[in-house]
Formats: sequence, structure tokens, C-alpha cells
Amino acid sequence: MESTPTLPIPISYVSGRYLLFSVDAVTYLRREHNICGVLIGTLPQIPQQNVFLGLPLELMPEEARVLVDKDVACIVDEAKAHDGMRSLLEEDRRQYLRDLESQGQLAMRILADRKDQQREQSLKEIDEKKAKGLAAKAAKAAKAAADAQVAPESSPAPTEKEEPNSIFAGEDGTSSLSRTTGISTPAPQQALGITPTTSYPPLPHPVSASSQYLPKPEVPLSYPLFAHLHSRGYFLSPGLRFGCQYVAYPGDPLRFHSHFVVVSAEWDQEMDLMDIVNGGRLGTGVKKGFLLGGPQKRRDEVESEADRVDTVRTFSIEWAGM
Amino acid sequence: MASQQTPLPSLEPSALTKLIESASASGNPLAATTIQILHNLQHQHLWTFLQIHDISTTSNATDPNTPDSIAFNDPQTLISGIPPHRVYTHPDEQLYMLDKGIAEDDLRPERLFVIPTAQGQKWSLRRMAAAFDSLAALEVSENEEAVSSNESVDPEKAKKLDEYYERKERARETKEWGTRRALLAMTNRGMGGEGTVVYYVVQEGDVKPRQN
Repeated sequence: MESTPTLPIPISYVSGRYLLFSVDAVTYLRREHNICGVLIGTLPQIPQQNVFLGLPLELMPEEARVLVDKDVACIVDEAKAHDGMRSLLEEDRRQYLRDLESQGQLAMRILADRKDQQREQSLKEIDEKKAKGLAAKAAKAAKAAADAQVAPESSPAPTEKEEPNSIFAGEDGTSSLSRTTGISTPAPQQALGITPTTSYPPLPHPVSASSQYLPKPEVPLSYPLFAHLHSRGYFLSPGLRFGCQYVAYPGDPLRFHSHFVVVSAEWDQEMDLMDIVNGGRLGTGVKKGFLLGGPQKRRDEVESEADRVDTVRTFSIEWAGM
Repeated sequence: MASQQTPLPSLEPSALTKLIESASASGNPLAATTIQILHNLQHQHLWTFLQIHDISTTSNATDPNTPDSIAFNDPQTLISGIPPHRVYTHPDEQLYMLDKGIAEDDLRPERLFVIPTAQGQKWSLRRMAAAFDSLAALEVSENEEAVSSNESVDPEKAKKLDEYYERKERARETKEWGTRRALLAMTNRGMGGEGTVVYYVVQEGDVKPRQN
């Protein structure tokens, strides 16, 4: 599963958003570059189901910028990249559709195999259980015979309720058939419908034309702090949930609680002390620290945003409890 | 039954007000804040060995580009003192202490610095950094006054404590147990200025939070 997609990874720019459509790219960036993004895809049929979202993955401009600065990704104009769709040859189109169908059949076969395996596994378990039950019954019978004089009919044998009922829910017919014959009967196979999330088997990989890259993403003033924390190994996610700019996790958010609610400020940006009290209280209230930081240089003092990243200083603030 | 109302005796100013008036003849608005917070530390939180450090010259001279308005608002004083109980223990340090069975009360008291501020005062990262930079200079001189732990403890405990201090010294270099820290004290103005002071632990860099 440790696959590395072709670098740089194309980030699709669609109406002001930075999106990723390839699951390989998403897992790679999360694994190797601490970039999580936010899944925003819903099911077309049930768009109001928004608890478990899927592809595409939306990246913050800061995340996209960090990746572009590291030469891991590039920004591609999604609409332009698909201009080639019209000039696709009819032959290529058919070939592609055939490919999709064979992929669907493959998926179907894998699925069927897995079902068979599961069935065999559970059958084996049942047989083992039964054998064990019989052995126990025999032992019990022997024991009962031994002290039949002392206590006749001590307990009813508990083997009757071992009939499988929950395991084969929904496919009782086939299971009983295969139990008697021992041969799995293949159902009439229909290829699964495959919906590809990326468009570059039929089209050439969008990265091939480097002249078509869009410029680096425009980032908010808080970018240097983002890049600084990212370079220190933190996973950063948008901070709206905690009333801050970013939430910083010391590792993958699936495994760690976050450490900081992060707020960025310019070096001479005047802030009310009350904001520090607010942030400190908020952080302490959710068992996090309040991290305040920013670059020492203004944008007009340096040539590129990267020069600001090196001058970032941060302060962690917690309620003192006194 | 008094028909003519006797004029109320004018209320005496509070002890704190008198203290502030007597001590801050300089007219510096920040001096009053410093005194008020020092007073609060001394009498409400029972800190001892309190000192006021003047840092106005050090912090202003370092950066000639600083606009005047900002320079004036830079923190000019720091307070330091010894709290009766530890105010902050880094989570990893706490884990170590639990492991070794060291109680906080066994440790010798430590001097802690306080940055006095008042509600409504403008603050910025530059000012916070200035306070911390001057803190670095102060801490160097502070380290020389070694507090002698003259309590006669049993040798086993003394050995444990020595190990702890050694470990702490190493942790200071690697910043495992947190970085340079200070308390940010804010006193309220407005709303009648009833004298509440709140304290926040500030540390430089990303220091993981305590498990409250």
C-alpha cells in the first residue's frame, strides 16, 4: 500500500478551492508530508449526509502553498487541464471504456472471492465448535454416568442452540447448498460500475506540461506561522471549531489529541490583552495550550514569504490557575 | 432625629491607593500597574522575596527602528519573586517526579518572573518578545544566587533530589521540560477597576500543554 504517486502531485484549482481527487495522493500527503486537508465529498444521492465525507479533499491555501514550496505538488487549472477531453480519439475512448469494464469485473471477482473465503472460514468455525460441543457432551455424559447415582440429570446439555442463524443472514439458500455440496456456486457475475475519481488514464498526466502550472497560492498573513509549525512536525487543521486560526496536532489527528489552538499576529499588530485572556481561557478549557506567534518581518520587508517563515517566534500561553 | 444632615465623612482612600500614590510620583502610568500587581502577589498570593527589575533601558535601546509610540508602551518593569507553591510544572517533569516519588514540596523554591500589564494596554508580539529577551539577561544574573537547601532531609531523599536537579539542568538545555517562562499578569481597569489580577503562564516556543 506504500505507493508514491508521481511527483509533483497536481492540485486541482476549481473556483478558488484547492482540491485533490486521487486517493493515492491524499494518503501519500498525509503519510509523508503531514497534510490532512478536509474531505468534502458527499454522496450524490444523499448530499445531506455529511458525517462521513469522501473525496475530493480540500486543502487550505496554506497547505497547498507549503506543498508547492517543497516541490511536492503543483497547482493545475482544472478546467484547462480538461480541454483535451474533446479531442480524445474515438479509439482511445473505447479502449478506456473497455479498461473500466475489465476493472469492474476484476473488482467483482475479488469481492466474490472474499465472500467465499469468509463463508469457508465461518463454516470451519462452526464445525470446530460443534466438534468441541460433542466432545464436551461426551465428557459430560461420561461424568454424568459416573455420578448418576448421586445426582441424576444435573443439567441439560447446552448444545442445541448452536445452529448458525446470524452468520448467514441474507444468504441462507446458498450457504445450505454449499454446505451439502462443498462447492461454491458462482452467481451470475455482473461487473461492478467503476467511477474513476481522476481523469488521467484517458488524458495525459496533467503534470507533464509544466508550463501550465498556476502560480503559487495566495496565502493569508498567518502563513509563516503555519509553515513554521508544519516544519516542526505538527499537523494543522482549520481552527474554526476551536475559535482560532489553526489547531495543531503533534501527530496524525486520528491518533493524537491536539496540543494548541493557534493564533497568528503580525509583529507590531496591536492586540488587546483581553484577546490573550480569551485565548488562554479557551485553550485551558479544552485542555490545550494557546499558541500565539508570528514572523518578525513584515511582508514589505522581505522578498518572499519563505524569508518570513525563518523569523517566526511563538509563545505558548496557559492559565496559571491563580 | 437629625433634621440637618451631617456631611458624610469623605471615604478614606484604600491602602492600595495610598501605596500607589506614594510610590508612583514619577507619573509613569505603568509604575502604578507594577505596584498594584506586586501588592497582589505579596498579599493575595503570599509571594516572598519580591523584586522590581527595570528593563526599560535594555529593551528600548536594542531596536532603533522602533517607533516612539511603541517604545513608550514597551514593558518597562518586571517583577520577580518566590511563590509559596509551584505555579507551573511541565507534564514531562511531572511524570518524572511521579516516577521517582518526588513531591513538589520537597523541591527548593524557584524565582519566577512576572510581566505586569493592565487591561486596555496595547500589546503586541514585539512587546512580548522584548519582555522575554530582557528576561534572558536577568535570569543569567539570577542563577548565581544559589538557594541553599539547608533542610536536613534523609540521605535517600537528598540523593533523589540531586538526581532531579541534575536531570532538570539537562532538560533546561534540551528544552524538554519547557522553555523560558514568565507569568503574564493583567490587572483590570475600567469597570471600576476593582483590583482583580489574572495570571497566565507564557513560555517561548511550542511547549505542550499540561494535562489539566
